[in-house]
Amino acid sequence: MSVLFDEAQLQIADEAQRLLTAHYSGERLKTYLLGRGTFDRELWALFGAQGWTAICYPEAFGGLDLGLLELGLVAEACGAAVTGVAALTSSFALGQALLRFGADEQQNHWLPQLAAGSAIGAIAFGEGQDMLPDAPALRLEGGRLSGMKPAVTAGGIADAAIVLAQGENGPVLALVDLAQPGITRSLLDTFDNSRCTADLTFVDVEARELPGATDAPAGAREILRLLAVIVSFEQVGGAQKMLTAARDYALTRRAFGQPIGAFQSVKHRIAEDYVLVELARANAIHAASCAGQPDFGLYAAAARISATEAYDGVSRDAVQVHGGIGVTWEADLHLHQRRARTLSVEAGPLIFWEDEVISQLQGAAQ
Amino acid sequence: MTDLTAYRNAARAWIESRIAEFGRDARRGLSPAEDLALGRRYLRAKYEAGYSGISWPKENGGQGLSPTEKLTFDREEILHGFPTEYFSISLGMPVPIMLRYLPDGWKQERAIAALRGDEIWCQLFSEPAAGSDLAALRTRAIQDPDTGDWVLNGQKLWTSWAHLADYGVIVARSDPGVAKHRGLTYFWVDMKAPGVTIRPVTLAAGDAHVNEVYFDDVRIPDAQRLGPVGGGFGVAMETLIIERYSATDPAANGPSIARAIADATRMKRSGRALIEDGRVRERIARNFATQAALAAIHRRALLSLEAGTQPGSEGAIHKLVSVRNRQRLSEFMIDIQGVSGVQWNEQATRKDDWATSWLTAPTGRIAGGADEMLLNTIAERILGLPQDHRPDKGVPFNEIPG
Repeated sequence: MSVLFDEAQLQIADEAQRLLTAHYSGERLKTYLLGRGTFDRELWALFGAQGWTAICYPEAFGGLDLGLLELGLVAEACGAAVTGVAALTSSFALGQALLRFGADEQQNHWLPQLAAGSAIGAIAFGEGQDMLPDAPALRLEGGRLSGMKPAVTAGGIADAAIVLAQGENGPVLALVDLAQPGITRSLLDTFDNSRCTADLTFVDVEARELPGATDAPAGAREILRLLAVIVSFEQVGGAQKMLTAARDYALTRRAFGQPIGAFQSVKHRIAEDYVLVELARANAIHAASCAGQPDFGLYAAAARISATEAYDGVSRDAVQVHGGIGVTWEADLHLHQRRARTLSVEAGPLIFWEDEVISQLQGAAQ
Repeated sequence: MTDLTAYRNAARAWIESRIAEFGRDARRGLSPAEDLALGRRYLRAKYEAGYSGISWPKENGGQGLSPTEKLTFDREEILHGFPTEYFSISLGMPVPIMLRYLPDGWKQERAIAALRGDEIWCQLFSEPAAGSDLAALRTRAIQDPDTGDWVLNGQKLWTSWAHLADYGVIVARSDPGVAKHRGLTYFWVDMKAPGVTIRPVTLAAGDAHVNEVYFDDVRIPDAQRLGPVGGGFGVAMETLIIERYSATDPAANGPSIARAIADATRMKRSGRALIEDGRVRERIARNFATQAALAAIHRRALLSLEAGTQPGSEGAIHKLVSVRNRQRLSEFMIDIQGVSGVQWNEQATRKDDWATSWLTAPTGRIAGGADEMLLNTIAERILGLPQDHRPDKGVPFNEIPG
């Protein structure tokens, strides 16, 4: 069931928008873009102070006991501001895995830190082109982890990670404290360095299985779906921002004696972009409101597809509407171009989510 | 259980009890006359069960409930392919608008006859030279200074179900000497009156539910005028937005996604089910995502209505996206059938056949607001972008270069 936002939710959204808009600085974002391993620590402290890191945790762990919609609204504001920190979503994914599958002491140790924003989490499931490899190359034997996980979002700054590894009896989900000897983080050069994406290499490192994840691939899939919904909101926020930028520019820039927004080639392009954003927004809200229901996975996948189509499409068009100024370093539009592609890939590319939709529709038909 | 849930359950139970008599299967193989007769019987049954004119006031033959109950009923009803299409325009626009403008008595008799399926009203707006640009219409209405009667001359086009209609509402040009929007006047007409000639127009897929309608010296009394002289454009716009929001099908009345999955699972290429092909998976998955979004937008619009706010752009988004989506998926589903894809079945409907859905889809992108007009609406009304350049703005109609 889709929902209309209530007063409390709208208040969270307004507050997040206000603070993040005030914090926005294209110049600062560009320093994170250029510098490998740097991210917006000041903003991350604000996330903790505002309680945004605590949204999806029970009160017993210092959380606010709210849901995907509330976190989604904060993520949407983050998307609009192309925030220079990837940890809101990466920590959320780790925390949700611990909440669902973790042992008591794993939860007691990490969840209060994640809720407070004093620890950063990451998930490392994919290898190469597989988001969920059937037989991961990373191995967990006798509680020791060896091997490599490539291109882990926030891998350069995370304090802990959940990995999908090959155990003695098939794939397992395991928690690894990243402050241990034997771990090498190799920061990657990416087109959005604020994500602190890193290859994580483990040589005989202690790691502990999540006891609740008896079916590790299914557990990992569930975490990816939760992540997908929150990232969809972030994509919607970015897409909406680009739509507004294109509209505003089309109203002020004049050519051939009138605002360029009066030409149908421009005006209709922007109207089509509006539709893409509204479709993506509707799917994100619907998916968030389906949490815990049997068709959650189907709608999470649909949300991802629409959100990726929207953010990629609208940021592409926004640059086009701006003409020459749009392709400059100064204009900041490339920040969204970069973020749009980054988010598309990090939380699973379109072909992954398309397969998810089809396999679930086939399941429903059987 | 909320009142609305109780209402939905009761409506669903009644609707399901009617499927055997009026549903898609019951209509298969009927002649047009038989199908229309079935439709009239369905409307009668619906009226007697208290599901007609759900959101109309009781004094006009309605149930006096809110648009939410109406949408709830319609949403259940459209699932079964009941023969309601002959009456949907009639009850959606012409009858409600005449109820707003005419004095009590006769109008209630007409409204009840229309609700019972005994009478049908049509809407005479578009013309050969006036479609998206409705205010450019040329049908003339000249008032006889002695009697006050009006004489209509001209041609209307694309009039749905005019050949079945008892009455119609019409916009005509009463003053060509003023700007085009200001010289129009609105009337109701008796479709059986002398001088009214109706000719069917066969559409690309072979169906003929639209018509051209000629008016040759059709005389009507001034009492048949709706709204002021020169105020016809306003009444026409009021007519078009009476139904602010209606029940929608994310598949735009084409075959469902479940059907696409079933077909692609059954069909094979080199021994492999087509649904295993990444190209097929991509097309269907993306189409599904869009339909899921339209369904979600629709549900949120219903919630807005329940909460007392008017929906905004949802109708425009639905129309723009759903038909295009159906058109693309139908093309693709014909494609993957290989050489068998060219088959045509005269009896098939757009809901159960990809080829029929494909060949009828262009109509849906033009009728009732072309894609380009919807994009203008979104751009201008929602995004605040400038209006198109209109060289005829403010120019008296008879001075606009032809």
